[in-house]
Amino acid sequence: MIGVAPPAYDPAAPTTANTLPVGAPSTVRAYVRELLQRHRRAFVLLVAVNTAATVASMVGPWLLGDLVERVSDGAHELHLGFTVTVFVLALVVQAAFVRQVRLRGAMLGERMLADLREDFLVRSVRLPPGVLERAGTGDLLSRITTDIDRLANAMREAVPQLTIGVMWAGLLLGGLVVMAPPLAPAVLVAVPLLVAGCRWYFKRAGAGYRSEAAGYAAVAAALAETVDAGRTVEAHRLGDRRVELSELRIRQWTAWERYTLWLRSVLFPVINVVHVTVLGSVLMLGGVFVLQGWIGVGQLTTGALLAQMLVDPVNLILRWYDELQVAQVSLARLVGVRDIEPDAGDATLTPEGREVLAERVHFGYREGVDVLRKVSLEVAPGTRLALVGPSGAGKSTLGRLLAGIYAPRAGRVALGGAELSRMPAERVRSHVALVNQEHHVFVGSLRDNLRLACGDAEDAELWAALGAVDADEWARVLDDGLDTDVGSGGLALTPAQAQQIALARLVLADPHTLVLDEATSLLDPRAARHLERSLARVLDGRTVVAIAHRLHTAHDADVIAVVENGRITELGSHDDLVAADGAYAALWRSWHG
Amino acid sequence: MQIQDLPYSDPGVPDARSGPRFLWWLGRNQLGGQTKSLAWGLLHFMSVSAQPFCVGFAVQAVVDRSGTRLALAGALMALLGAGIAIGDTFLHRAAVTNWITAAARVQQLLARKAAQLGSALTRRVAAGEVVAVSTGEDEQPDKPAKGKRKRADSGDTAEMRLSAGAITMVSTGDVEKIGWFVEAVSRFTAAALTIVLVCVGLAVYQPALGLVVAVGLPALALAVLPLLPRATRRADFQREKAGYATELASDTVAGLRVLRGIGGEELFLDRYRRASQEVRRAAVHSARMWSLISAIQVLLPGLLLVAVVWYGVHLAGEGRITVGELVTVYSSVMVLTYPLRHFEEIAMAYSFSRPSAQRAARVLSLERATDADGSRPAETPAGDLYDPATGLLAPAGRLTAVVCGDPDAAGRLAERLGGHPTEDGPSVLLGGVPLDELPLDSARSAVLVQDKDPVLLSGTLRELLDVPASGDVAAPDALGAAQCGDVLDALVQGSVDAEDPMDARITERGRSLSGGQRQRLALARSLITDPHVLVLDEPTSAVDSHTEARIATGVRELRAGRTTVVFTSSPLLLDRADRVVLVHEGEVAAVGVHRELLHEDRRYRAVVTRETEEEVALRDEDVAIDGVLKELEEKELEEIEETA
Repeated sequence: MIGVAPPAYDPAAPTTANTLPVGAPSTVRAYVRELLQRHRRAFVLLVAVNTAATVASMVGPWLLGDLVERVSDGAHELHLGFTVTVFVLALVVQAAFVRQVRLRGAMLGERMLADLREDFLVRSVRLPPGVLERAGTGDLLSRITTDIDRLANAMREAVPQLTIGVMWAGLLLGGLVVMAPPLAPAVLVAVPLLVAGCRWYFKRAGAGYRSEAAGYAAVAAALAETVDAGRTVEAHRLGDRRVELSELRIRQWTAWERYTLWLRSVLFPVINVVHVTVLGSVLMLGGVFVLQGWIGVGQLTTGALLAQMLVDPVNLILRWYDELQVAQVSLARLVGVRDIEPDAGDATLTPEGREVLAERVHFGYREGVDVLRKVSLEVAPGTRLALVGPSGAGKSTLGRLLAGIYAPRAGRVALGGAELSRMPAERVRSHVALVNQEHHVFVGSLRDNLRLACGDAEDAELWAALGAVDADEWARVLDDGLDTDVGSGGLALTPAQAQQIALARLVLADPHTLVLDEATSLLDPRAARHLERSLARVLDGRTVVAIAHRLHTAHDADVIAVVENGRITELGSHDDLVAADGAYAALWRSWHG
Repeated sequence: MQIQDLPYSDPGVPDARSGPRFLWWLGRNQLGGQTKSLAWGLLHFMSVSAQPFCVGFAVQAVVDRSGTRLALAGALMALLGAGIAIGDTFLHRAAVTNWITAAARVQQLLARKAAQLGSALTRRVAAGEVVAVSTGEDEQPDKPAKGKRKRADSGDTAEMRLSAGAITMVSTGDVEKIGWFVEAVSRFTAAALTIVLVCVGLAVYQPALGLVVAVGLPALALAVLPLLPRATRRADFQREKAGYATELASDTVAGLRVLRGIGGEELFLDRYRRASQEVRRAAVHSARMWSLISAIQVLLPGLLLVAVVWYGVHLAGEGRITVGELVTVYSSVMVLTYPLRHFEEIAMAYSFSRPSAQRAARVLSLERATDADGSRPAETPAGDLYDPATGLLAPAGRLTAVVCGDPDAAGRLAERLGGHPTEDGPSVLLGGVPLDELPLDSARSAVLVQDKDPVLLSGTLRELLDVPASGDVAAPDALGAAQCGDVLDALVQGSVDAEDPMDARITERGRSLSGGQRQRLALARSLITDPHVLVLDEPTSAVDSHTEARIATGVRELRAGRTTVVFTSSPLLLDRADRVVLVHEGEVAAVGVHRELLHEDRRYRAVVTRETEEEVALRDEDVAIDGVLKELEEKELEEIEETA
């Protein structure tokens, strides 16, 4: 049997739920319109230079046709010098404009691409913190790497090249109609075949290439994981399995390669036959017309050469069209972020005082399933509250509600009488900061890493903040001081140093209330102990809600709340709770010996 | 070799002495495919180049008013059309097949090399780096400063980390380029042969004009070559800029929660905008070069055309050539620009693929530091685990906890307990057998060391837990002992259609899970393996106290009768160990049980309770009394238990 069916396994199928929306077709269309509108002038310019280049390219065949006509008529005066001069001039004009077409095309494509990626990041950094907490950053990350990358080709090449190709083909046909009108229908003979072939192909190509690309990415990903997990792979004796997995991925990828190769094996002959049919029918029909005396030999020659020139623009269109199809999917994913409403918040809402209050709060991530039930809590300014309890009990969720990241389903969480969830995120964070395990060190200088907390801070303030968390010792000996590049690709910091930077940011941001979610949990004990001392200094005088998973943190707190199964089951000071002899007391005994 | 037969059952032993040798080795291994591509290429290019003859023939037929010859031209046209279509399609098939088989072979070689190098490869490849590399950033590994990662605290295996990055890089960016060049060789050969043949043909068909074309064409072929190195350099520069911008963007997104929590969005947006505009400028700068090349590609063949027309019309006017012949030569020059482009392509393919092949060869010639075959026959020893260097003894069948003030030293000691470590030293003995002398595979199956940062491999939970194992521990038991209940719920919630948590997918490195959840899954995986000796390094450092207490009990029950060594400083784990060993300054300093050591050993107390030495000293006075009270309590408890 001839033909290859699409492979059953599709590597492009999503494996994790889309945590962020994908743009609806109408959103995508609106965005594309907006983008074109923004670059209208560059677009018009591209069209103009392209027209000039194409028209100039038709001068050659026209002149040759003219000469052929006269030579075959046996004319004695050929005006050859004049013809050659015009030819050379047209050629220079064509070359100059071809250069402009390439350049203008690239400029347009690059501008649109730059707009697109910058727009996306602007949208991303405006996402409400609640959406981020819930969706995680994985989906965003894959959009800004994989999807931008796929779009790069489309924007950089496909859009300008398609514009060029379509116009080029159209102008050539127009030229043919003007210079040898009777030959125009001859070109159209092949159109039905072209349309049928392209319909068949493009119906399948987009999805095919997407899967093929995903399959190839999976080959690289499998290997990258083997490399990354070198120790684990060796410890668990998984070497052979990793090789098998890599080979499975190769089989899945090549199956798609084979499928798309089959698609092209159908398309290529169609295109070739179309080209030959166009040229052949122009020659044959034109030949008959000349023999009938309806057109001249010169017109036939011009027509044949123009028909021959049609190959390039048609190939250009076919070459880039499927790239655009692939790009559409990526564009929808990028534009999807625009569908999320940034929560504006009520800017008039200002907290009076620093008291944190939760009243009969209910909250759930999914409809009908409450993670927190009827939680009430009062945190006086300057006190330290420790939340303890087993994993999944809801203590992290409670912490996020107290930090104003989520809005309660029922009940209210207020700071100084103002409801946190109704305030703009920028306002909330000047009062309350959430510190979690994620101590991201950004690529860039140490200075940038600190200044994000306080844009106008002087170097002296930055050093003071580093000093406050005992980080100035190692920071002082860096070769470039605050200019030292840190983060991925720069100086790699230890987890403890990363955490110190996070704390120094807090010192600079200076919020009066802090929610600490297992802030020191990923550290080894030695580093943690050191850091906790820095932390104590930072926390001094602030209201602190600590989600504690080490009991000594709880021990030092003013109030301890034991969260179990979405409720607060015990509340009181360490001594109270030990005396009460409940769950906390049992744990404490086992921990402290 | 057909695509459907991939992957190779054996990708072979590559000649990795140098980049060009490696390219040569790849090409030599697909001679059949190369021959096919050459043959179809000849058919295709020759048919394309013969088309102008048809055009000229038809025009001349019309000039001569011969309907028969016009029909003949039509028939010839149809024949050539078939040649073009068949040649093009099968050339494409052969070329793509060559590309894919070469790429697949290199990928297979890389996978085998990575599996063979194993732990020798890497400790940590930063997330950002992998992302940057997988998005196609062409970062040169031998470029100083930026490519190399420096590390502030220790001289961790920098060189190996570099090679780990190199493998990933070769697999994502370099394989395509290598495949491209290997494949392009035969296509180029076909094009070059065609051009030579056409020139010879033209010279014979129409000597005067043919000579002009034969002299002009090689000049055309070579004209743009001097510009190519500069153009590719600009393209490389652009890619570098683009890679940096992508890195900034993904870095900003990765830290977005921090930004949204503390501020600084505008600072990072500005920075990204600057980088993005730099990419744009670099791209336009690069496009300037390419547009110049395009212009030359229009101008030079055009000038040759003008020369042909000028000289040809002269000849035709004098009656030395026919009109048809003039049209043929003109059309030939137009058509020949197509095979001519292959000269540029092969030059570019080589300049791109040579550094890639160099990198690939370097990676493929990496070797392990220790001898994986061992000097003893394969066996699986059993008995006590003993480390002569520190004096650490883990009795067979018992749960031993090791407390070590320095976590780095703990990590090194844990690694040594598994045999074949990266550092030299006397071998650890298992039942009296030196593990370093056993084959690597035997040592690893006897002792499983779970390091501080175990990696969760992506795939379904079922696949994650499907590791070589004794078969005695069922997945639900292991998951239960490691307290993975809430992890399973989280996995089901995060997956598209999985009802059964075993079908739920874990993303790369388990990034969608929290640190504590990842640790518990890794622990469950190690428990399923059920080795004779299980060494766990800080297995619950990111788990809350409630859960940790339950894990301690679960692991103890599940590992009953098996040898287990846990490096920890958590009282909850220490309290459930049969034997607690304090290792201080590289030597065993104290042995006992938790409560005993807590009261008796000041250093132990300092490590375990996280108090400073001064605090311990201050409290020591109370401890004496406290201790007596505690002992009394415990006695009471035991009496209660006994009576119950």
